[in-house]
Amino acid sequence: MEKRTSEAAKNQAVLQGNEACARGALYAGCRFFAGYPITPSTEIIEMMSSEMQKCGGAFIQMEDEIGSACAIIGARWGGKKAMTATSGPGYTLMQEAIGFAAVTETPIVIVNVQRGGPSTGQPTLSSQQDIYQARYGSHGDYEIIVLSPSSVQEMYDFTVRAFELAEQFRTPVILLADEVIGHMREKVVLKDGSKNIRSVKQKYVVSPQADFFQGENTLVEGQLHDSMGRRIGHMASKSGEFINNINKKISDHIDVIADIKTYFMDDADVAIVAYGSVVRPAINAVKLARKVEDDRIKPKLRIFKDIVKKGVQKTINTDYSHLKVGLVKINTVWPFPEELLKEATKDVHTVIVPEMNVGKYCREVERVLKDKTVIPMSKCGGDIHTPQEILDEILKEVGVDE
Amino acid sequence: MRINVRFAGAGGQGVILASVLLAEGYGLGENYNISQTQSYGPEARGGACKAEVVISDDDIDYMKVDTADVFIALNQVGYDKYKDTVKKNAIVLINSTLVETDSPDVYRINATEIAEDMGKPFVVNMVMLGALTKLLPKLHYGTIVEEIKNKFAASIAGINLDAFSKGYTVMETELKEEKAGMEEKKPA
Repeated sequence: MEKRTSEAAKNQAVLQGNEACARGALYAGCRFFAGYPITPSTEIIEMMSSEMQKCGGAFIQMEDEIGSACAIIGARWGGKKAMTATSGPGYTLMQEAIGFAAVTETPIVIVNVQRGGPSTGQPTLSSQQDIYQARYGSHGDYEIIVLSPSSVQEMYDFTVRAFELAEQFRTPVILLADEVIGHMREKVVLKDGSKNIRSVKQKYVVSPQADFFQGENTLVEGQLHDSMGRRIGHMASKSGEFINNINKKISDHIDVIADIKTYFMDDADVAIVAYGSVVRPAINAVKLARKVEDDRIKPKLRIFKDIVKKGVQKTINTDYSHLKVGLVKINTVWPFPEELLKEATKDVHTVIVPEMNVGKYCREVERVLKDKTVIPMSKCGGDIHTPQEILDEILKEVGVDE
Repeated sequence: MRINVRFAGAGGQGVILASVLLAEGYGLGENYNISQTQSYGPEARGGACKAEVVISDDDIDYMKVDTADVFIALNQVGYDKYKDTVKKNAIVLINSTLVETDSPDVYRINATEIAEDMGKPFVVNMVMLGALTKLLPKLHYGTIVEEIKNKFAASIAGINLDAFSKGYTVMETELKEEKAGMEEKKPA
């Protein structure tokens, strides 16, 4: 029991992913929350309703998700950092407002704790089916930032990061969690007080360059507009420039936004690329694969190819007694971290992409890693992949599947 | 050390709450890494409900339980569904009021009966948790008591603590009797 009173343990708590998300938002300075409860995201709304007032902010339970998304846009114009949280059907209703936030360059944070779809689908079960909707859900051309947490601590940290990125790039940011992470409880380290995330003038923001209504006249316009907020939709060249600008402000700054984490990739021949909750069984599968001892593995380890590719010295220093499998965990699923992924997987020949949908993100991976064998590993129905399933797929791909 | 714990029962029996208290007990009280997950249907009460806790002194990669080291069944449906996905020397604890089995390798506690005798049928999960605390390694009685006090409003903490303590002492007595029984047999 002494451990509990020590300094490090002071801010430790056992929280659900959803609760950690709410606490992260409050720490990031979120002072307005509008939402409509929906499983499996309801705990975020519950905690916001009980904690927001204590922080001096406002909470509204709205009539639906359309209202929720619009309310947080308005709240941000009024100067408050704002967030809403939902799942599948509610997220679909929010698409119009997401496009509006993108074109008006309003920084908001929307949490989608994914459940099984389509439609009302599987309320209490998990999926990663909204990975494309998060990127392309609203009509028209816009770039968006989407973060994908894999642990309760990341639910907290990525929520804070979402507010930072939203303010920095004046864009809606989606926190794309899923039921497993939202409902899972783990230990988290919470921070005291509140972070002061400032909105600064950025030259790449089209309009308005100053913060909304904060001492300067502001014209907010959903049609394409110039830096003053005046409509330019009837002028083709100016309109084209506007579209390019609001896309480029994100795509030109991928180096600042993109974030991946690698595990055991130093000597890997096979890489697993995963995001969200699937990262967890994937790490486990990688560790299991590295322990597999089987005579049939030897010829699959590409020792001679390595001599050519990596040189004799490096080959001698490599341990060829086990399968060399690594993991690339994608933290920022959109914009797609192309360059980081290419760099991380430059020495592998096979990439396996497990995801809880029909196999979507693997298409992006395929597009970027054209010279490698990319294997989709889709799983639908609500259950997360087990480490054994991923291990079996690895063994199958390297030719040891009996 | 990694302990995989699985609870199974019906929605409304407090399956998830019991697992959360166990997770907090190990996670905060004893400073282990923990991961607690659950699965349940859309019904508020009566549907199948499962909760899992992984306890480890290492980082926890995979947060779900495949085969359990510890299995707690609060009703028959849950017992039947998961009784075969336990490890060989697993600790299995059943609510013997609602679960019938011929298996000799299970710990039994008549939790629903005890809870009903207390006049509060809903504390069945606390009775089970009390019995479980007696059976589990490296988990202290005081730790869970603290977690119960933190979790509940003062008005209902008392009855939950009583149920928890009752489960613990019933299991304690049962284990003593079992030990005495085994010692009686020995001299022969």
